[in-house]
Amino acid sequence: MSILLDADARVLIVGITGKFGTFSVKDLAQSQTRVVAGVAPGRGGQTIEGVPVFSSVAAAMKETHANAALIYVPAAVALDAVLETIEAGCPLIAYPGDGLPVLDAMEMRAAALEHGAHLVGPNSPGLISPGKAKLGFMPSFCYAPGPIGVISRSGSLSYEACFRLSSAGLGQTSVIGIGGDPVRGVNAAEAIALFHGDPDTRAIVYLGEIGGSEEYALAEYAGRPDAKPSAALLVGRTAPAGKKMGHAAAMIGSYAESWAAKVEALDRAGVVIARDLDGLAAAAAAALARAMKPAA
Amino acid sequence: MHFMLVTEAQGKALLRAAAIATPSSQELRSLDEARTCRIELPVAVKAQVAAGGRGKAGGIRKANSPAELENAFDAIMGMRFAGEAPSSVLVESWLDIERELYLAVAIDSRVGGFNVLYSPRGGVTIEDGPPPLSYPVGLARNFRAHAFRALLAPVESDPKVRERVISIARRLLDIAQANECTTVEINPLVVARGGALIAADAKVVLDEAAAFRKAATASAIAASRDRAEREIRLCEEASLMLVWLDGEIGLISGGAGMTMAAMDAIDGAGAQPACFLDVSGNPTPAGFGLAFDLLDRAPNVKGILVSMFGGGLHTDRVAKTLVELLARRTSSKPVTLRLNGTRSDLATTILRDAGHRNHATLEAAVTDIVKQVGEARS
Repeated sequence: MSILLDADARVLIVGITGKFGTFSVKDLAQSQTRVVAGVAPGRGGQTIEGVPVFSSVAAAMKETHANAALIYVPAAVALDAVLETIEAGCPLIAYPGDGLPVLDAMEMRAAALEHGAHLVGPNSPGLISPGKAKLGFMPSFCYAPGPIGVISRSGSLSYEACFRLSSAGLGQTSVIGIGGDPVRGVNAAEAIALFHGDPDTRAIVYLGEIGGSEEYALAEYAGRPDAKPSAALLVGRTAPAGKKMGHAAAMIGSYAESWAAKVEALDRAGVVIARDLDGLAAAAAAALARAMKPAA
Repeated sequence: MHFMLVTEAQGKALLRAAAIATPSSQELRSLDEARTCRIELPVAVKAQVAAGGRGKAGGIRKANSPAELENAFDAIMGMRFAGEAPSSVLVESWLDIERELYLAVAIDSRVGGFNVLYSPRGGVTIEDGPPPLSYPVGLARNFRAHAFRALLAPVESDPKVRERVISIARRLLDIAQANECTTVEINPLVVARGGALIAADAKVVLDEAAAFRKAATASAIAASRDRAEREIRLCEEASLMLVWLDGEIGLISGGAGMTMAAMDAIDGAGAQPACFLDVSGNPTPAGFGLAFDLLDRAPNVKGILVSMFGGGLHTDRVAKTLVELLARRTSSKPVTLRLNGTRSDLATTILRDAGHRNHATLEAAVTDIVKQVGEARS
């Protein structure tokens, strides 16, 4: 098993005629992911890399029974594309784009919740279930199938972190990028709940950073008696307060948003802490070892 | 940059447009204007900057006479707040304060939208007190007065204040929605003698991502870019992300998360990063060229670490760029390279053929540059 995305994924790409969309058709094919349709208004009837193009998401869904969508359109029209996809009944959507206005992110999130759809993004590489399917643009060589569920706020960090986990023999059920913006589709609490419900996920690895409050969702979960064991790496220990570190949400505005406050809360809840990237594989292995042992 | 703080005067103009009371005021840009200021004395004289912590830094003064007002204007215009010169001075009538409240709407990640925050005790000490009351609204249209009233009842005992706060909170949400703000904060919201509620300060943060459809946001960004330090401006124009830090290791990295991870690794090796510099937005000869140029010139930078993990990025291209750049470079500051990920075997060969070493891991590279900088110093 995995979360949200499985080997039966039938992917449609909105914005398939753009540079990213066309690259993605080839890239997903190399990751054993079936791309069944593309959408580009006014371009219906064409094909891109052998994939049929439709003028609307509804038409593409009806003809191809797609069940997952990847949205590659500019930020200025992203809200419209995501709403169209949600309202056409697509249950899983990744919108990786960055530079999205927060008001649009709020509307996307609300619409997804209302329709029972799962939205991954904005500002995220997407979602991958190694060996099964990929809905995003993360580099496939970093991932391997296995028992760990990974949640990440940062794309670049998740590539290298998963590369290190895979190299250490610690494969992943799914890796979800919840994104670097303050308002997101699937958030940390929801991603944790999905991994909690996935029987193949034995342990959770959380890759977080300074700023915002998402990390406290893991602390709350880890305190539950039925929680799966978890490990966390938070970056930005050396970042000064009041300065934004690249990501829109990576800024320490109050003590609760600092590295120290978050690590203390996670540590108290029993999460295995990796102080540096160097310690991540060992922390993940320690969490996994707890899962193998029957509860004392 | 994604979020932009505007000045108090700009923020208060938004409040006034929503019929929220503010003190009578005048914005002054010259000493002549200060001499002819019409606001009745005594007055508050306030630096107009887009940086926080202005009160504690002496940017707010009281003036009881025209002479004091002129002196305060002169003094404040000569000050710098987090490196920023005031664009003007705001003069406001001095308020007769009965009580100070705190009221704000702000984007909250766990709410997935707007949060309304209220405290019956506002002012400069808000951060030292108990956390404010929180009403998670989400979308602005989900605000319900009765729900907020029920939350306020145990916190705010004065029913008149309660109703006025509810009315202002709804307007703050309207302002945030209409102007695409991530924060609209009034601290303090003053209860004046007689019971009127007056916004004595305004902190408004605009969402920069909305600049494509908000002309006011686009011009605020342009104005802030003009005020920014030259190096920050150059980086923004070249799609690099730069934040200067206090350490000695110049760090060039890719991706916000990995750049922070590399900063932490430098700290773990007993040194400190001199910057957060993310070149993933422009990993070209121009982007790397600017990055090296800035770090080679910065006096506090004693050595440079380039650490890139190639996902979509082809590290062999980066290697070629670095070889050409290092051949041209005149600075003698030590440089350590680490290119890992997509096509890094090729990158290692390209670097080796040019006489450079490609470190296999971030940790090995960090150890190397920290050692080289330490040796150069001793």
